Parts: sequence; C-alpha cells; structure tokens
Amino acid sequence: MPELLKVKNLRVEFNLNNDIFTAVKDVSLEIAEKETVVLAGESGSGKSITALSLTKILPKNARIVSGEVFFRGQDLIKIDQRMLVKIRGKEIAYIFQEPTSYLNPVYTIGDQIMEAIMLHQEKSRFEARAETLNLLSQVKIADPERVILDYPHQLSGGMNQRAFIAMCLACSPKILIADEPTTSLDVTIESAVLELLKGLQQKFGFSLLFITHNLSIAKKIADKICIMYQGKVVEAGNAGDIFDRPKHPHTKELISAYQQIGKL
Amino acid sequence: MKNKTLAAGLLIIAILSMMAIFAPLISPTDPSLMDQNNLLAPPSYTHLLGTDSMGRDLASRMIYGARISLSIGVIAMGIATIIGLILGSAAGFYGGVIDTLIMRFTDIMLCFPTFFLILTVAATLESSIFNIMAIIGLTGWMGQARLIRGEILSLKEREFIQASRAIGCSDFRIIFRHLIPNAIGPVLVNATLGIAGAILLESGLSFLGLGVQPPTPSWGNILIESKSTLGVAWWITIFPGLAILITILGFNFISEGLKKRYA
Amino acid sequence: MLTYIFRRLLAMIPLVLGISLMSFAIIHLAPGRPSNVDQSLNPKISLETRMRLEKLYGLDKPIHLQYLNWLKMMARFEFGKSFSDNRPVSEKIMERIPITLTINIISMIFILIIAIPIGIKSALNPGSLFDKSMAIAVFIGFCLPGFWIALLLMNLFCIQLGWLPLSGIKSLDFEYLSFWQKAIDLSRHLVLPIFVSSIAGLAGISRYMRSSMIEALSQPFICTARAKGLPESTVVYKHALRNAILPIVTILGLSIPGLLGGSVIFESVFAIPGLGRLFYEAVMSRDYPLIMAEVVLTAGLTMLGNLIADISYAYADPRIRFRKQ
Repeated sequence: MPELLKVKNLRVEFNLNNDIFTAVKDVSLEIAEKETVVLAGESGSGKSITALSLTKILPKNARIVSGEVFFRGQDLIKIDQRMLVKIRGKEIAYIFQEPTSYLNPVYTIGDQIMEAIMLHQEKSRFEARAETLNLLSQVKIADPERVILDYPHQLSGGMNQRAFIAMCLACSPKILIADEPTTSLDVTIESAVLELLKGLQQKFGFSLLFITHNLSIAKKIADKICIMYQGKVVEAGNAGDIFDRPKHPHTKELISAYQQIGKL
Repeated sequence: MKNKTLAAGLLIIAILSMMAIFAPLISPTDPSLMDQNNLLAPPSYTHLLGTDSMGRDLASRMIYGARISLSIGVIAMGIATIIGLILGSAAGFYGGVIDTLIMRFTDIMLCFPTFFLILTVAATLESSIFNIMAIIGLTGWMGQARLIRGEILSLKEREFIQASRAIGCSDFRIIFRHLIPNAIGPVLVNATLGIAGAILLESGLSFLGLGVQPPTPSWGNILIESKSTLGVAWWITIFPGLAILITILGFNFISEGLKKRYA
Repeated sequence: MLTYIFRRLLAMIPLVLGISLMSFAIIHLAPGRPSNVDQSLNPKISLETRMRLEKLYGLDKPIHLQYLNWLKMMARFEFGKSFSDNRPVSEKIMERIPITLTINIISMIFILIIAIPIGIKSALNPGSLFDKSMAIAVFIGFCLPGFWIALLLMNLFCIQLGWLPLSGIKSLDFEYLSFWQKAIDLSRHLVLPIFVSSIAGLAGISRYMRSSMIEALSQPFICTARAKGLPESTVVYKHALRNAILPIVTILGLSIPGLLGGSVIFESVFAIPGLGRLFYEAVMSRDYPLIMAEVVLTAGLTMLGNLIADISYAYADPRIRFRKQ
C-alpha cells in the first residue's frame, strides 16, 4: 500500500533559558492508508512532540531543526503557512489527552464543531448545524440536540472526548493523530472510545497514528508499532513481529513490564 | 548583588534617608529663612534649586521635606502593617466567627475610597504630623490584613505547625515565632509598596492643604505654590514633583527586587 | 444564575449596614463634636446657631439614637442641609454627579480602548522592544503623582502651547456658542482631566491584559484551535481573547474607588465642579452633612460597582453561568 505520510530524520530542539534540549532525534516513520500506527514509549520519550511537529504546531521555544514530513508529495516543514493551515484539521486532525481542557470553555460544543466545518467547507451555518448533529450521533452521543448547546464543563470527560472526535471527523481527514486519548478516562469508557475509533476508522477510512505508553492498548489496535525512547525510534515494525520477537533492549523491557502486571 | 532592581532601589532610598537624617548638615540654609532680595528666583549659585515666592531656598526646603515625607511614609505604613498583622493573623489562625467578623470589617473599610476616608478623618482632626501618620495608617491596613490571613491559612496546615502544636506551644508562640516569620515575604513586599503609597497620599494631602501645614516644608505643600506660579517659576513645579517620583520609584524598585527574591 | 445574583444581594445587606455604621462612627467618635465647628473656619455659625443645629440633628441625644436617626435619614436619601449655604445636601450632590460621572465613564472607556490593545500586543511578543518599553512606561505610570502630572500638563498644554483651556469645564462665552462649538469647548476642557484620571487605570489594565492574554495563549485549547487549521488571527482574537478578557469587567468595577478618590485631586487642580471638588470644599469648611453624604455615596457606588462587576463576570463566564448537569 502506498504511504500517505513519510517522516524522514525529524529533529526538534527546545530552547530552555539558553540550554538546548533535543526532544526528537532523527525520527523517521511511515503511515500508509487506512493503517493504524502506534507510537509507543514512556513519558518524555518525545512521542507527543513528534506528533505535533508533523504540522508544525509547536510552542514558541521549540524549533524544527531538520527533517522532512512528506504528505501527498509536499514537505509540510517547508510549505507556506497559508497552505499548512489548509491541511491542518482538514487532512490531518488531532485528538488530545484531556478533552475538557483542550476544548474552549467559553464556546458551546456545537459552536466549536461548526467552526471546524465552516472553516474547511463551503457550508452555511444551517447546513453545518445539521452536519454537527449527524457527527455527534456517529460518535454515539445519545442526545445531540442537547449536547450541541452544552459547554465543555457541563459534560463528562468521556462525552467531551466523543465530541472532540466528532469535531476531528468534521472534514473527513486522511490521518487522525490521537495523543493518548484515553489516558485520562476511566477504564470502561476507555474501551468504549477505542471501539468507537476502530469502528469510525472502518467507516471513514482514515489512517490512525495512536500515541500511548500503554502496550496493552497497542496490542489491541496496532498494525505497526514504533517504539520511542529518549527522542529516538529504537524499534519499528509490524505489531506481531514486535511483540513476538522484540529486538531492542528497551522494547523488551517495556514488554516484560506489561507482562508482569499481567496486562499482555 | 545580582538583583539589580533591589540594589538600585536600596541605593535611592539610602541616599534619600541620608539626606533626611543629616538634613541640618547638608542643607544650604535654614528652610524658613527668607531671602528678600531673591523672591521667586530661578536656580543660581546661591540658591541651587531656586527660591519660592517668600524667598525661601527651595533646596533646603526640599531636604527637610525629605525628612517629613520619608518619616510619615515609613511610620504610617508601620502602623498599617501592625494593625494588618494583628487582624490578619487572628482571622487566619482562629477562623470561624472571628475570621468572618474581621473579614467583613475589612470589606466594609475597603468600600470607602481611601482618599475620601482620609479626608473625612482629616476634617475632624487638626493636621499635626502624627495625626497624618495615624490617619494614613488607620486607613491602609486592609491589604496587609488580607495578605497575612491568606498566608497563614495556607501555612496553618503544614507539618511544622502541627508539630509545634503537638509539643504544646501556646497559640501566641505559634503565631509569632512560627507563622509570621514564614509569612513575612509578601508582607515585606507589600509594605514597601505601602510606604510609597503613603508618601503619595501624604503629598496629595499636603497639596490640598490638609496635610503638613506650612511653614513646615513637605514636597506636597511646596507644590501648592506651583499652582499659582505655573509657567513663571518652573523650578517650584519640577523639583518637588521629581523628588516624589524618584522616591516612589525607589520603593517600587525595592518591592520588585524583593518580589524576585521571595518568589 | 439568578440564585447567584440573589445570594450576592443578600450578602450586600450587612455591608450596607456596615457602611452606615462606619461613616457614622468616623464622624461622631472622632475627637471634636460635629457641631464643634472651628470659629475661624466658619464664622457664620454663632453659638446660637450651633445649638440650634445640635438640636436639629439630634446631636444632643444619646449616640445610639443618633445612629438610628442617621439610618432613617440614609434610607430616605435625606442628608439634611449643608452647613455652608443651607441648601439641601442631596441637591448639591445631584448637581455635581453628571460631571464626575461623565469624566469617569469616558475615562474608563478611554482606558479600555488604549490599554487592551497594548496588553494584547505585549502578550503576543513578550520580551520584544514594544513589550519592554511598555513595561517601563507602566512602571513609571504607577509611580507618578497624579497632581504633579496634572500641573506639568497644564503648564505644557495650557500655558506654553496654549492649545487647551486652563480650568473649569466651560469657557466664559459658553452660552453664546452653537451646539457644535459647545461640544468642542467641553471636550477641550475635559481632555486633560480625563487623561490624568486614566493614567493609573491605563497602567494597571494594560499590565493585567498582558498577563491574562499570556495565560490564555498557554491553555491547551489554543493548541486545538491551531490544530483545527484556524488562522493565527482567529486563534488569538476569537479563542484566546475571549478567555483573557473575562476578568477585565471585574477589574474595572474594582477600579471605581480609585477613580472616585482620584477625582478629588484632579478636580481641585483643574477647577472642575464635580463631586470630588465638592467633597474637598466640604472638608475645608467642615460641612459635616455634606461630608457624611458624600462618604456614604461613594462607598455605595463602590459597592454597586463591585456587585455589577461580579454579576457581569458570572454572566460572561459560562462555567459560572451554567452549572454542571
């Protein structure tokens, strides 16, 4: 299958009070169409930064030093800001860890989803609203008419995460990047959200880049896995290969840790 | 000292304090001495900063004015801080009804614009220097009280306080030997700002004729004359105002410097 | 939301009582009876008049009865007659309210128009030359004595340059001017007082806006906004600003006592016939009914300002306006 996204030797540095910290060191990875790639590793291994760098969403003190991110023949690192902004949200969408804080508290769920729709598509407010209701029911929210008028603080974490997913799907992106989307949710909600994501992936046909530190989730959903450690990709390959025949010592450590808790 | 702001502030205030303390030695002439030949004279060799309409040397008046302004500022803020310390620590430490009562009282006092409050009291008392200090102090303790209460509320539950209770320390001892010394940082920062504020209030009061009464010189009451001599005697307007500005800047520098230290 | 308003109003009642008690206490418990007017200050009041006034104000009655009397008067907004010209105090105050109110409201609008953009621009480029120079300007602004700046500006604009009139709110030939000329005349008179009145507010609010914006821009949902593909201007002005500006209303409300207190000074310097100047004159002539009335009025305005600020904030912030389901 042809690759949709190809990352080559990405290097990202942080400037902390004149000390340079390299968070991402020569990371390369590929995502094919309709594929689920899990980016796994411990906290601080550089997974989130890597994901954010793909569309250059970085804090002011961070800098992409070198590398290329090829998407549909274009290097996202080098293209114009005006073009990048058209790809964000429309072709590549993000889900974040803590949905309630990643939603704007002063606007309703409906407003925020409609904003995404009207930004990338030529739809009227009326059409956007209908589309929003449709999306909310696709993510299995029971009462979309009510939720559309609610503010994030009025809903539970699980509901907010579903609404967030709806917002991401608004423009049928090609790649959905999920940065630890279930880490802050209860375990029961967690499996429901994972099920939802898998189901939506079948339906909408997007590729999923799933970031997590939890190998049991990885085992459930991954086609391919990249293990990150201290800013580098130390091992990558098909999920089955990685779990059955891990090569890198860190990979082995991670797997055995999970096996000990009985989670693998 | 790496903390340049603090150093600058301390330098300014040190110079001013020296001026104030050694006024009789530094001052060119007696501040009430009227030089009849030089009424409203611009700065010259004999009168470095000029004279006012009664021939009094401005430089001398300003040096003595430093005494007045600085001492009023410091003592007024001292009074405010003491009142604030007592009320704030009582409210924070004992909580409950005492806390509610004290905080309500603070809220009520805060509803009155400070200047209105001060002027009202000034209307009932004669304008002696001590009264001015007392008035400014009695109307400016609210900020300190709230601050201390907040600090004590957060310190109260810390282990070392519970430990001192466990070994049987009296309440008084806990408050004065343990809580207040640890809460002192922000209080000090606020106090230096308060001194600046007190000096500003005093000069405002004196400017309006309700503070330090002439012939005793205060930077504020020297400026009274500038109203009538605007455009004619620029030195009467510029120098006292500059003095006030520099003093307040000095205290604000100290406060900023302390903030960096205690942050 | 309504319960919030109701609770706040309820909490105000002890405050109102407290204000009445405090203002009463300040005057009556201070050494020197209210009727003990210094002869040299107000020669109009002879001993006979003084005794009549004492009887009129019930000053010869025990103090708790005096306080109840005071409360009754306050409730009916009757504040007695001024000592200096025997006119009803409320009338004298009502005359002056429009001017002081106008100046303060225009001041607040001026502050908002200037300080908010400055704060935003500083926040968008922290550490830049603009940010640093604004920080210095704010620092100095906080340290400037208001009356001194007033004098300096008067010297510059009225005397040296002659661009603006020196004092008052109207020129001598005001009555003979056309409507448009009247408007311009008023504006020219009010420019300096409004500016002087705004200095502290400008400094404070621009600083506050800066830190509020910086805080808002560091929130996680800003990342989401960017990830959605929103242009940076939308991210800043629609998403960040809406959050950053919430507390500004509260701050404005809290600045009311400062503005009122400041009006005493600049109204005296610029000879503006407003509430501040009235208060100053009352204090100078020991006109106690007027003093008491103004003290209560300003305290009441402050309280009202705080109340409006709190309620506006509660209304504007959906997290308070709509409770969790």
